[in-house]
Amino acid sequence: MADIDNLIAIYAVIVIAIAAIALISIIAVPIGYEETQLYPKNINTSSALNPYDRGGEPFGKTDVIAQYPQNSPYLGYVTAYLTPLSALMAASNLYLGTTIVSHPGGIIDEILYNTRGLDTIVETSILFTAFAIASFLFRREDE
Amino acid sequence: MFELPTSSIGGEELFVLPFGDIVNYFTPYTGALFLFALIFTLICIFSKPEKQLDVAFGTDAIYAKDVTGKDLHFRRFMAIACGVATMGAVTSGDVFNFTLFVSMVGICIIGIVASVKNKHVLNAAFNYGIISMLATVPLFGGAAITLAATGTLSIWELSAIAPAMPGIAKALILVGVMGEGIAPFYAAKAELFRAPGAPYVIMIHVSSLLMFLRVVEIMLTV
Amino acid sequence: MMDEYAIGLIVALIAIIITFVAAFREKNDIHRLIIADLAEVSALAVIALIATDLAEALIIPGLVVGISELMALSEIYLVREHLTHPVKNPFRIEVLDTAPAIIAVILVVYGIVLCGFTGGAVAGTGMVFYFMGKRPAERFALVETVSGYAWALWIVAFFIFMVVPEYWFFAVMLAGGAILAKVTAKMSLIGTMRGEKDV
Repeated sequence: MADIDNLIAIYAVIVIAIAAIALISIIAVPIGYEETQLYPKNINTSSALNPYDRGGEPFGKTDVIAQYPQNSPYLGYVTAYLTPLSALMAASNLYLGTTIVSHPGGIIDEILYNTRGLDTIVETSILFTAFAIASFLFRREDE
Repeated sequence: MFELPTSSIGGEELFVLPFGDIVNYFTPYTGALFLFALIFTLICIFSKPEKQLDVAFGTDAIYAKDVTGKDLHFRRFMAIACGVATMGAVTSGDVFNFTLFVSMVGICIIGIVASVKNKHVLNAAFNYGIISMLATVPLFGGAAITLAATGTLSIWELSAIAPAMPGIAKALILVGVMGEGIAPFYAAKAELFRAPGAPYVIMIHVSSLLMFLRVVEIMLTV
Repeated sequence: MMDEYAIGLIVALIAIIITFVAAFREKNDIHRLIIADLAEVSALAVIALIATDLAEALIIPGLVVGISELMALSEIYLVREHLTHPVKNPFRIEVLDTAPAIIAVILVVYGIVLCGFTGGAVAGTGMVFYFMGKRPAERFALVETVSGYAWALWIVAFFIFMVVPEYWFFAVMLAGGAILAKVTAKMSLIGTMRGEKDV
């Protein structure tokens, strides 16, 4: 345990032990899946926005099952919004759903930027920090 | 203001900071942790780093290992980021958000020592970095199991229906924080401490200690 | 009777155990790095089992954490092993030296039209194309600055959502622009961060 090179092995053993206990306990007493989830997924295969169709009028209220809807007075506006380009694509074919994550607007943006915006802040900060480390080391070697 | 399912959460609540679904809270306990992290971050911002001295054997010579220039800026930045991440982690009111802050603390700890040129320190940083990468698996796994089994991630909701979080999720999150905070793995910690520059290196210990105190609070609340 | 979620969780836990057994047995540092990155995939599987929109939104931070740690650690590895100078001659595709820059411009413009994540990837490909072909000198600092601004834009968008939610449209556009700039910056790093001395 005093050797650095064994650290990863020790940590791996601990995690394996916990995971094995978890595995046995799940087989013995299965964890039930809670049916009332936040932001449930519903699939309407005839919609052009297929996996992400959550209904709603653009620039209007949409029902989104958030944890604290009172905290986000404009909840649902982002969900229903389509950029002009994506609205055009949605009107002309059935496959916009495969690329909708790449356009501003939609349910994922609603969660990522609005209701759970702090997660995204932390996520980008992590990326920023890692990027700072990598670029600092890289540029120092250049000098 | 909006309705929260419980008025007291691990002690009397002093201040609530809502960010959409993520509602951060300050109780006497988390507030104290927050203040501690804040004070330490301020120390990192304003104080000058220590000067480590090495005596060369058999002579009168002394080598001063000074932290200067770009190196100083970089390490100060990393220490401040680590402090901010710690402040976020101790006040977070959401399980997944907490795990994200914990991973940010992990990566900042690597950053604090990454600019050191000592090979042993770098070796320790690398090994520790691998552990912190592996630790994200139990962390996110535990949070995901919590969400699936209870339908919520908010600590407010979880504490209202406590004990709601499955035991295995608690164990996974705990082992994840262990990995990010290098707590029982003293071998790497001693090596990391070889790096010169006192307030920044000590930030490693402060942040991992505060994360432990916080995770215990979460485990007891939910 | 077990429901589908429990079965899925059992499979995912078995996958986690397998990856950690691999991490336990592996002694080579570079392989350990790769295994650690692979292990994160099993964490994503556990998140994906929730199967809601929220799960999808949680996968993105999970993925990013893995990528950023991999980036920082591989750079530390390179410094530790003194591998900062390329061992072989840099990879060189002759046709790129003469390729017209207009292709890169088209890709970048199209990426901006697409916007968001995919747009960033397309625009980034354009930038990679440009950097590989033209070998410009000091672009690295510029790319860093761009990603810093993207980060700041993101923070601004977040506070607009939290403080003045009635300007939600502006915030979405800001965040969409920020992710475009961020992904573009990250992609163009591939073009510059190849350890070339005499670019």
